[in-house]
Amino acid sequence: MRKKRRWTNIILWIAVIVAVVWMLFPFYWAVITSIKKPADVFRLSFIPFVQFEPTSENWRSELQMRGQEIKRGLKNSLIIGVCSALVALFIGALAGYGLARYKYHRVKNRDITMWILSQRFLPPAAVVIPFFLIFKTLGLIDSVVGLVLINATFGIPFAVLVTRDAFRDLPEEIEESALVDGCSRFQVFSRIALPLAAPALVAAGIICFAFAWNEFLFAFIMSYSKAVPMTVLIAGTQDTQGIQFWYVATRMLMAVVPPTILALTVQRYIVQGLTFGAVKG
Amino acid sequence: MNRKKRVPLKEQGKHFFIFPAIIWLLVFTIFPLLYTLYLSFHGSRFLRVTKFVGLENYIYVLSDYRFWNAFRVTITFVVLSVLLTVGLGLLLALLFNRQMKGVQFFRTICTTPLFTAPVALGYMFMIILYEEGGPVNNFLHALGANAIPWLSHPRWALVSVLIADVWQWTPFAFLVLLAALQAAPRDLYEAASLDSASGWEIFRHITLPLISPTLGTVIILRTVEAFKVFDLPFALTNGGPGLATRTLTFNVYTSGLRDQNLGVATATAVILLLMVLAVSQIFFRRYGSNYD
Repeated sequence: MRKKRRWTNIILWIAVIVAVVWMLFPFYWAVITSIKKPADVFRLSFIPFVQFEPTSENWRSELQMRGQEIKRGLKNSLIIGVCSALVALFIGALAGYGLARYKYHRVKNRDITMWILSQRFLPPAAVVIPFFLIFKTLGLIDSVVGLVLINATFGIPFAVLVTRDAFRDLPEEIEESALVDGCSRFQVFSRIALPLAAPALVAAGIICFAFAWNEFLFAFIMSYSKAVPMTVLIAGTQDTQGIQFWYVATRMLMAVVPPTILALTVQRYIVQGLTFGAVKG
Repeated sequence: MNRKKRVPLKEQGKHFFIFPAIIWLLVFTIFPLLYTLYLSFHGSRFLRVTKFVGLENYIYVLSDYRFWNAFRVTITFVVLSVLLTVGLGLLLALLFNRQMKGVQFFRTICTTPLFTAPVALGYMFMIILYEEGGPVNNFLHALGANAIPWLSHPRWALVSVLIADVWQWTPFAFLVLLAALQAAPRDLYEAASLDSASGWEIFRHITLPLISPTLGTVIILRTVEAFKVFDLPFALTNGGPGLATRTLTFNVYTSGLRDQNLGVATATAVILLLMVLAVSQIFFRRYGSNYD
């Protein structure tokens, strides 16, 4: 028995190591590619200082030559991410609260929820052409506002589902007594329910932010210069003299780091969030 | 007496809460969807709608080899991606479903791939799988093996896209299934191991039935997500070599915005939509109650 347990432990640790290396290797490789001299990039070497001489030249020249572009890309991604998350959260929390606290009669709560959730299942390709045409008519091409609207739309179903569950977990009694004391429903919502559900709301907001930051299809089609976010910026690196991996790596890291770091703060909600509340983590 | 008066108070303003979301979604998804449907029955020139053409766009799409190629690529990708991510995720979840130091740390690491932008992921793997001088081929070379044409051979290109996708989504299946396993009641397992049931028997008769609703949810969410794939092949292989990694979404993009043929693009989009709707129907039938 004991011998068997030792073997399972060994297998387990091998699995852990393989999985960790497998998951971190792409990040690691991107980092060391970004600090390699072009001549070292195509050689098989893993350890800076030992196998190759690291350099900050790539980062420096990248930030010098394309600093403006990158700054604008980061700014656009940030604006699109934050604003669309806030809009999605605001509209989503209202609906989530409604679904958690009221019974709707003409259309049942469950059908409303399912309908909202089903929007999240739509392939974006199904609406990309009309969006392009409508935004062209409205002058919203290459505008951050347009991208905020689109990403908020993708975030709303998610925000509704997650906030609904959060509000449901709150005890109803406090709100009822506030109602009896003469508060309006909206006051109850904004002064009692929202603050109590704040952790879940922040988590939902961060996940919405990450979705919006990572969105590519619409950003690629709807922006060409002043509204270009990071995802589109990294996709544009190919055109100049072949692919310069060392520059690609720097830009890619700048695009990847913010949402991943933020996501680490909301781990507790990730399982629930990514299954739209079907599985509680 | 008083009580009766307060019931309407509780009901007060209920439409105020739900209407913004409903109106927003009607304007920003239902309307564009109907517009897509409209466009798919019309001809176009220079991004302008010309005349009603009936089913012409659909007939064109369904007799176009590029559509059937993308259809095949998409289906292959969806099936393999779902099988691999869910299979590996389940395996890992079973392995890690025990008291163990460092599981929390491991879960932390698992969340990072999930939040990597797929475009960035494409470039990440392009650097890794680069054929002449990329680390993987260099490594194979050092072992004395032949270089693999990761990005230039049609079959391998699809494999490369799959590898990157598996890298990104296995943690999703793992985290969700692990949560489901840990929510399962312990005493059931204890009873089974007292009965000296084999590991496989425990899995087959206890674990699987317990987690099957979650497993179903994971499979369908992954399927729907896999149908949408575009960014990853766009960045990694640019749909190539040839048409080898062009998915249906890729076709909507190329025919609509590169060739500016709105009718063909929207007809393709409608067909893709119908496929996803079919899958999500199963979902809402079987797993809708998870969301009550």
